Amino acid sequence: MRTQSLNEELVTLLPRLRRFARTLARNVHDADDLVQLTIERALARADQLQRDAPVVNWMFGILRHAWIDELRTRTRNRRVFVSESAVEEVGDPTQSDQAGLLSVQDALAQVPEEQRTAVALVLIEGLSYKEAAHVMDVPIGTLTSRLARGRETLQVLLGES
Amino acid sequence: MSMCISDETVMAYVDGELGETARAALDAAIATDPELARRVARHRALRGRLHQALDPVMQEPVPERLLAAARSVPMPRGTVVPPRRVPLAGWSWPQWGAMAASLVVGILLAPLLWRQPAAPVGVRNGQLLASGALAHALSEQLANTQPANAPVRMGVSFVSRSGNYCRTFILRDRSALAGVACRELEGWILRAVATASSAETGEYRLAASSLPPGIERTVNDLIDGDPLDADTEVSARASGWQR
Repeated sequence: MRTQSLNEELVTLLPRLRRFARTLARNVHDADDLVQLTIERALARADQLQRDAPVVNWMFGILRHAWIDELRTRTRNRRVFVSESAVEEVGDPTQSDQAGLLSVQDALAQVPEEQRTAVALVLIEGLSYKEAAHVMDVPIGTLTSRLARGRETLQVLLGES
Repeated sequence: MSMCISDETVMAYVDGELGETARAALDAAIATDPELARRVARHRALRGRLHQALDPVMQEPVPERLLAAARSVPMPRGTVVPPRRVPLAGWSWPQWGAMAASLVVGILLAPLLWRQPAAPVGVRNGQLLASGALAHALSEQLANTQPANAPVRMGVSFVSRSGNYCRTFILRDRSALAGVACRELEGWILRAVATASSAETGEYRLAASSLPPGIERTVNDLIDGDPLDADTEVSARASGWQR
């Protein structure tokens, strides 16, 4: 893929990448760090991009991996630097006045990671089952069952059951 | 009628995953079955609420650093880009070699090198070698039993993909130097160093992490499997960190 067109495409994808990242990491700065890391990795691996697949799906896959790495690092650091990691993350103050958003974010945060990713890809990002399964590198049956469970949890938490 | 239609099918319907025939059948069923219509509405409502909560992100101005990253020239694999909020973070070994290592060492490590004879870092054959209190801590201090006021705080120990023991550390002095060192024949070779806190803001980059992101990234690149637990760390030390 030509570099210049990839750069241009990444710029246009930034809003969607930020939305997806915000579903995974609640904290705005963490989410943007994740997007930045994703872009750096994508540009370094531009040779692996397949022309026939949408760039955005490829980016979602990289972002998801970056997030899993981040969670692993956090777990590791939490185990080792116990005293220092006692700082809990706080919600973004700029969002707290939007009551609706906060409750959905709260609910999302309680959904297990893999289910939340499935929900984000299909319900928010609008990917097909096949595309979402490809991004998550699982069979379609696994994707749909994660999606169903994630939905169920959200509906209970949001009082829509 | 409604009870005969599985949740899976209802979800596939609202997600637009049904074929044309099945879709038409459900359209017809929904028109005559209020209970089925309610189930469909419930799924649509959830999708709507999620969009309502997250779509505003798409309208936010995109931070300049992300635009700059998206427009930047691709870097060859293995190159680490220093994160914006942390100065001098994330230098990987190939870079130390490729660049004028002495220059970088001069900027970051000069204060440490001057403090002889107990300087924590020395240079040997163009590589950064832990010495003094740092070398001692790397060889002797266990994460699990280290004193709270130790001048060097040890982080995780792990086995690298090239089969060496590596350990992360933070110096508890003004330099706040953090890094990852791997045990090789010559001693503990520093694979990445960074300042643990930002000089400008004094805050850690991610609230839940203690190591600078550049170091975390190097650890993620180097690590093979999981970090050592307390017991395996004891036996690694007993073996002189040799495998």
